[in-house]
Amino acid sequence: MSVGFEVEELGHYVEDEALEQIVYQMWDSYFGTTEPPYPVFEPLVVEGPVQCASVSISGARPGLVTITVPDHLAPALAAVMLQDDGELAQDDVDDSLGEMANIIAGNVKALVPDAGALGLPVLARATPRPGRGASEVARLDAAWREGWLSFVVWLGDPQAAGSGDGSGRE
Amino acid sequence: MRALVVDDSRAMRKIISASLRKLGFEIVEAGDGAEALEVLKSGPLPDLATIDWNMPVMDGLTLVTNVRAAREYRSMTMMMVTTEAEHGQIVRALAAGAHEYLIKPFTTDALEEKLALLGLMPEVAGA
Repeated sequence: MSVGFEVEELGHYVEDEALEQIVYQMWDSYFGTTEPPYPVFEPLVVEGPVQCASVSISGARPGLVTITVPDHLAPALAAVMLQDDGELAQDDVDDSLGEMANIIAGNVKALVPDAGALGLPVLARATPRPGRGASEVARLDAAWREGWLSFVVWLGDPQAAGSGDGSGRE
Repeated sequence: MRALVVDDSRAMRKIISASLRKLGFEIVEAGDGAEALEVLKSGPLPDLATIDWNMPVMDGLTLVTNVRAAREYRSMTMMMVTTEAEHGQIVRALAAGAHEYLIKPFTTDALEEKLALLGLMPEVAGA
């Protein structure tokens, strides 16, 4: 079946540079002078457990924004955002990762024509699979401390709109 | 001055509250719109409410609409602080009764500029 849909077309709305700009704007706003992540251009080697926050975007081009971080780095990332040197509860880590995904998704949504609503953040121990027909349109993989951070935007086929919110959840 | 910070993210409540405390505000917090209405019913009326848009139970736009409809809350200034960045959403929020709109991520300087525009910078209000 032809869907008349090109990944390149969706990439015009949200490109890697736009995602990078959003991430660094967030970093400047909430992470103060903490060393920023540095983009890496080689495929990430993902080993061991991860924590992932995702926020879906409904509308004509349903999408999903994810932030994935190795398990051992997630508390450090949350601690910097919260400016809290103490030991954080997992709820605080989840909440911080979720808000980061929410901020990025909101700004991505503003770039996508006929976008609908943002979903609430969803936390998982694996990067979620996007909905049917969604394609990766922007990615920022970055080195940070003794690990990495990965930010990804998927957008969906306009003709598949209505089949989900882009999250892959039914 | 007193501010009500309404956001479902504890991290974001902490960030906004810390910024406002540095400016001299006393802070009360709520995790969603319904909780915010309970805070308003039970305590002294804040001078300012910062309101997130996307929250469970009751979203920020519904909260703004409810507050604007209540005569007793009319003196409270409402500022949306949200990731909703499209022009159409800003127009909707202002039409519903929000006085200002700040898009996340925001810097402390941007927050202070908005407060100054609203006449809510403590040194401005106390002048």
